[in-house]
Amino acid sequence: MLQYIAPATGLLFTLENILWINIGVFIGSVFAAIPGLSVILCVILFLPVTYSMTAIPGMMFLLGIYCAGGYGGSVSAILINTPGTPHAAATMLDGHPLSERGRTKAALKIALYASTFGGISSALMLLFLGPQVARVAAQLGTAEYFMVCVFGLTIIAGVSGKSMIKGLISACLGLLISCVGSDPMTSYDRFTFGISRLYLGLDLAVCLIGLFALVEIMSKAEKRLDRLNLDTTQIKDDGIITKEEYKRMARPMLLSSLIGVMVGIIPGTGASEASWFSYNTAKNMSKHPEEFGHGSVEGIAAAEAANNAVTGATLIPLLTLGIPGDGTVAIMLSALMINGLNPGLTLFTTQGNIMYAIMLGLILVNIFMLLQGKFLTRLFAKVVSIPQEILTPIIVIFCFAGAYSVNENFFDVGVALIFGMLAWILRKLELPPVPILLGLVLGSMTETNFRRALLISNGNPKIFFSSVYCIIFLVLILLAVGTIVRGKMKERSTQKEA
Amino acid sequence: MKQWVEQFNGRMDAWGRKLHEKEIRIPIDLVTGLAFAIFALAILLVMPDQVAISEKDVVNGRAFPTLLMMVMLLCCAMLIGKELYKLATKQPLNWKVINIQVEAKALAILGILLGTYFLSKWTGLFVVGAVFCCLGFLLYFRCRKKSYYVITLVIAVAIWAAFRFVLGVEF
Repeated sequence: MLQYIAPATGLLFTLENILWINIGVFIGSVFAAIPGLSVILCVILFLPVTYSMTAIPGMMFLLGIYCAGGYGGSVSAILINTPGTPHAAATMLDGHPLSERGRTKAALKIALYASTFGGISSALMLLFLGPQVARVAAQLGTAEYFMVCVFGLTIIAGVSGKSMIKGLISACLGLLISCVGSDPMTSYDRFTFGISRLYLGLDLAVCLIGLFALVEIMSKAEKRLDRLNLDTTQIKDDGIITKEEYKRMARPMLLSSLIGVMVGIIPGTGASEASWFSYNTAKNMSKHPEEFGHGSVEGIAAAEAANNAVTGATLIPLLTLGIPGDGTVAIMLSALMINGLNPGLTLFTTQGNIMYAIMLGLILVNIFMLLQGKFLTRLFAKVVSIPQEILTPIIVIFCFAGAYSVNENFFDVGVALIFGMLAWILRKLELPPVPILLGLVLGSMTETNFRRALLISNGNPKIFFSSVYCIIFLVLILLAVGTIVRGKMKERSTQKEA
Repeated sequence: MKQWVEQFNGRMDAWGRKLHEKEIRIPIDLVTGLAFAIFALAILLVMPDQVAISEKDVVNGRAFPTLLMMVMLLCCAMLIGKELYKLATKQPLNWKVINIQVEAKALAILGILLGTYFLSKWTGLFVVGAVFCCLGFLLYFRCRKKSYYVITLVIAVAIWAAFRFVLGVEF
């Protein structure tokens, strides 16, 4: 590991990288601060921008958005009692009451420090744990890799919507869409319906703009136009956090960072689960549980440290096995693959310099998030109240410009529009879009490993049950399915009783 | 002009109120199951035309999509089976209420999106579509603040300029 650190540092500390990190952090904070805009939407909108970049600045930009999104959501949660992102809901419970007591700046500072602590802990965990997991991943063959993909898809399909069956239908649809274009092994065209432009397949960014961004625009039809009247002069306290409060923050921050890392490693779980779990743990362990819900510094610190501690941890299964922990990192996987960086041990050995630069960069991202949060809080707060009338057309223009810029033609814009309409229909049918995204990202890898494994075994499907790792993953898939189905049944019976 | 706008808004409000009361209830799981079963069968049907293979291949390009469609059919069968069982045992089905007003508004938004796309495509000038998009959405939201029109149009042109001159995208 040490042999990569020095060259990686050299690759990381360039003016270009620092600039892209800061742009990413700024955009991520702004997007997450606005209720109704999500981090995944932001990453999708700016993914085409990274197509012209090399791996390190591209990933730094996207990681900047991803990490800052964890903190940005807390700004509106604290200021207007509306979480900017779903995972900031736990922060809102204590953040807003503390703000109402005239300590808005202090609440924002606690959220920022806890987010930074969680983020850096997670980045360090990635740095030390990533290469170890990659060593295990190196022992996997094609059949095992197929099982890994099935495992990732099953979990995401299971936890993404109300019904696991519908999640699986979505995943199958995503995988099928990834088949459009030339066959990865024979180069014969598939499902092109005589349209020559489809020979190279559908671009991921274009599909995602339709599936996640344009459908959000269409969903404005379902919502009322809410006015968020925010008076930014309410941030007028000195923002001082006492020594006593720092002491009280320390334990929940440490514990929540650990919880966040552990939750983040498990595919399908995310920042929301981590922040609620940490919040409850901090409440149970606190000497002042009565303060929770009334502006407890421990509550804010626990929720914020946990949701940012997920960021680096989700990258561990992504970089080592190719399993994205959530939708946002799935998009990052595609950004990596575009630059020829495929998950696995080789990523940590032959391309070690780049990989370690990205992992070290995650620490840097958190440092810049702290700096921007410290000096630009008032600006982020103002952004919260940008009216929908202005925001909506701007997002549409970004979507169209992004889709067009991929290949510089209007065909892609049309494809994005078709995917937007498809997503609207899927939404009506209550089919979750995240498994489609995962199917699109993992499609090529899943199919290639499936076919290679069958080629090796001369068409015998027994190869998928032939090794210890295959059986381990099969047991994990069955366990995951069992747990998810049991959880959903419990949920339904609780709803019926209520 | 002001009076005309007021009249138009009044008509739209009255129309909206009428549509708001109209709802369609659909057995969502049954419909999803049937729709995707038909889709999977259609894909299996067009597969020989759409996926060329070589006879020599042990595992050809149809293997994976066929597997996917089989899994999809299995999932659809489970969804339909579950709903039919509910019907047989007189349990309530999973219904989804579709509000016509919401769908009409979504169609209006889709109209703005399509207008933006076709204007950009036909004129070959992205900025024309961008301006239409801004005006379309501001009118959709019934925005009366002139400053919003100015701000949005300036930002729209700025985005076009950023892509055109900073990122070098030709449009």
